Amino acid sequence: MLSDLAIRLRALFRRRAVETELEHELRFHFERQVEKYVQSGLPLDEAMRRARLEFGAMDGVKEDCREARGVHVIETLGQDVHYGLRVLAKNPGFTVVAILTLALAIGATTSIFSVLYAVLLRPLPYRDAGSLIVLNETTPKVGTVSVSYPNFLDWRAASRTFSQMVAVRQVGINLAGISQPERINGYAVSPPFLSMLGVRPFLGRDFYAAEENAGAPAVLLLSFDLWQSHLGADPNAVGKTITLDGRSFTIVGVLPSNFHALDKTDLIVPIGVWTTNNSEAKERGERGDLDVIGRLAPGVTLPQARAEMEGIAARLEKDYPATNDQFGVSLTPIRDQFVGDTRAAILVLFGAVMFVLLIACANVANLFLVRGAARTKEIALRIAFGASRSRIIRQMLTESFVLACFGGALGVALAIGSIRGIARLIPMDMLSGAAVSVNGAVLLFAAGVVVLAAFIFGLAPALHSTNPNVQSELKQAGRNASAGVAQNNLRRALAITEMSLALILLVGAGLMTKSLYRLMEVNPGFRPDRVLTMEMDLRTQQYSNDPAIINFWQQVLDGVSALPGVESAAVGTVTPLTDSHSRADISIEGMAELKPGSYPHPDVHVVSSGYVTALGIPLLRGRTFTPSDNEQAPHVGMINALLSKRYFPNGDVLGKRFRFGHAGEDWITIVGVVGDTKLYGLANPARLEVYVPFRQGANNDMVLIVKSGTDPAALTSAIRGVVASIDHDQPLFAISTMNALVSGSVSTRRITLILLGLFSALALTLAAIGIYGVISYSVAQRTHEIGIRLALGAQRRDVLGMVLTQGVKIALVGVAIGLTASIGLARLMSSLLFSVSANDPIIFVGVALMLILVAMLACYIPARRATRVDPMVALRYQ
Amino acid sequence: MPDPRIDLPQGTLDLLILRTLALGAQHGWAISERIHHVSSNVLRVQQGSLYPALHRLERRGWIKALWGASENNRRAKFYDLTPSGRKQLETEKTEWKKLTDAVAQVLGTA
Repeated sequence: MLSDLAIRLRALFRRRAVETELEHELRFHFERQVEKYVQSGLPLDEAMRRARLEFGAMDGVKEDCREARGVHVIETLGQDVHYGLRVLAKNPGFTVVAILTLALAIGATTSIFSVLYAVLLRPLPYRDAGSLIVLNETTPKVGTVSVSYPNFLDWRAASRTFSQMVAVRQVGINLAGISQPERINGYAVSPPFLSMLGVRPFLGRDFYAAEENAGAPAVLLLSFDLWQSHLGADPNAVGKTITLDGRSFTIVGVLPSNFHALDKTDLIVPIGVWTTNNSEAKERGERGDLDVIGRLAPGVTLPQARAEMEGIAARLEKDYPATNDQFGVSLTPIRDQFVGDTRAAILVLFGAVMFVLLIACANVANLFLVRGAARTKEIALRIAFGASRSRIIRQMLTESFVLACFGGALGVALAIGSIRGIARLIPMDMLSGAAVSVNGAVLLFAAGVVVLAAFIFGLAPALHSTNPNVQSELKQAGRNASAGVAQNNLRRALAITEMSLALILLVGAGLMTKSLYRLMEVNPGFRPDRVLTMEMDLRTQQYSNDPAIINFWQQVLDGVSALPGVESAAVGTVTPLTDSHSRADISIEGMAELKPGSYPHPDVHVVSSGYVTALGIPLLRGRTFTPSDNEQAPHVGMINALLSKRYFPNGDVLGKRFRFGHAGEDWITIVGVVGDTKLYGLANPARLEVYVPFRQGANNDMVLIVKSGTDPAALTSAIRGVVASIDHDQPLFAISTMNALVSGSVSTRRITLILLGLFSALALTLAAIGIYGVISYSVAQRTHEIGIRLALGAQRRDVLGMVLTQGVKIALVGVAIGLTASIGLARLMSSLLFSVSANDPIIFVGVALMLILVAMLACYIPARRATRVDPMVALRYQ
Repeated sequence: MPDPRIDLPQGTLDLLILRTLALGAQHGWAISERIHHVSSNVLRVQQGSLYPALHRLERRGWIKALWGASENNRRAKFYDLTPSGRKQLETEKTEWKKLTDAVAQVLGTA
């Protein structure tokens, strides 16, 4: 086998020498044969003729020898690439159009794949991420909710299907004492958290098991980013202390740079720090921002674990009816938790971009066919010279491959150029923290696309132009007919394919447009214009009692209201569309006692007197809060229209009373009814809401809402100044205009629409070019026939109609196929749609008409050309 | 004159070449001449199949090529058996014998 390799290598790298030797060897044979015949008495010319006859085609023998030496494939590939490059260089127009078409399609495909990879495929930075499950509690009233700490402890104790289970409690922390106070995001976690994920600290140690218990020392692990930005990447950071919310914490370690928990993580502390002196940790009914992550025991499936956990939840429901009635449990693989509801959008976009790629391939295949027709002579010649069909197909495929490589390289360059733009366009929550980039996996995908594309657009034309039938047909038809019926059929089929794919994309884009339009028409229940929102979470150390908290907020309100340009200012909790929520059971005076779990469970807004005014929430009955609804005044509240309608159907609501919880709390008198607001997205129905004045329900964490006369964002620094003058360590965060919140709440839909629109425009253009190419080629072919028709008295109008009909027929077949396919495919995107049926007839008909119109326009140019045919010239042309 | 030549059955060309080279190194033309003569002008190897076969055998390592002077003192490419080629020749001869015996037996009894 060594000789084999040596010969192959020699043949490959010393090709010239090998070729010369081969030439020499065969010539020697030939000359000896001639000599022999001459010796036997033949004249020289006769001897040479006989020898040559016997020898056959010298090139064929050489070719067979090369093949026998086994370097054939690589070597001819090199030749073919070289030849392909020359052919492409000779047809710059064809080459540029084909490469640009492919580059656009491959670029778009690669970009979308890089998003798909980052969100759906990228390996999560955890050990065996497939067996990590996120657990939540569920209640029919709300859906998925956080887990209470006592329930978590019972789950963990009872479960056998999970080998490990940890609690992860989100904790917001104010980091002060540096240039500008800021808000950072931390997690209090059960000590095995990191080891369960398979993550090792970059520096320092993991938490100790004992740090689960209340009274644990204040230790923490910093994120890599925070360690870099706030500790200057100090290698001796471990053991140092930092102050958070007025408490001193010892740094015991630094997290690795790629660490990412369920959300952005700046630091983690052991859960014992959180449970210390924390009543919430002991109350089974307190479900606030606590998730549970578990690792399935080896061999356990998700359904098994779900069955076990449902059993455990049912038992807890029976044991603790007051807090657990109707509370179940949900299990979500950690990947799905990250991906959320963007999977459908990403898959739809990926499907769309694959369609664009197919259309581009069909277009390039069409170009190849046209050019193949022009090259039939060359191909016929090569076949006559003894080239086998497979050899020519291989060579033509190599040409497609070279072309696809150029297209692919340019496409990847486009993708790299556009990826930043796309990544910026795509909302962070859609990416779930993943960085979108053109990485190895993406490049591999692009390479795969190039090969696939080369085959798709290269194979049909290659098979076609070497088809023996086509070849003989060409020989008979002489110089004029450069393509036969078979080729026209193939080209028509390609155009039809393009039309139907474009139609499917347009239907998708149409449905998305209508959904977004409908969604933006939804009344959010408030007026978002010129409203600025920002959040503050007062440190519990400094603001530990109600008077201090109320005093701070009152000072902020007074200071901000006095700023020039401010129309009104207010504070409130649970502002719409911000993902914040605070819900509680209420009981209404006079209503029969309910069983636990069936009490009304509204969202609770704690607001200052100007809240409904600043947000423009309509007051329907009674009055809004006034500054005199203070600590000393009787407790008052407002409810929303939905609650009023459901629980006070006869409209007799003012003066009625409700209270939080089921017993014991103070009664609250209803003084007003306001309109419903959309808290959880425009697409979701309104929920029950109650409002209480902030002076009667002091809250550390509130959102400042400022309605301005002009551009609200310009007020940010002035407001910062007001807050700093009251407490210079108090950070403001989540600063946003209300309009940005509204448009952010539909951003996944919007970006899907923008990209889908872009892709369908591209598809439509390519399809129009495709049908234009088919028709104008057919007109060129039929010049003679059209000339005869005109000579025989046909009107130019008839000719125009004839050509247009040809185009419309193609479009109609494409539309018919596309519509049928759309009916099935549109259903796949129904989760992205809002108040639009996946089979919306107006969209379907509109898109079909549009496509036919575009096809007619594309055919009009060649049709006009047909009418200008001069019969005399056309007839002479034959 | 009826053509006395017959087509070579598949795979026998390699055997013939190896057998011819067992007598000593030869160049391509001499190999084909020799086969022609030894077979009493029945077997004729076309160049179109001879040279690809030679190159194939060389790649397999059964024969090796060297440049030398021909009988009329011109540079020619000679082929010679390698030790593994010699072994291959024995194997192929045995196979061939088995095959022809078996075919003869079938023809004789049928």
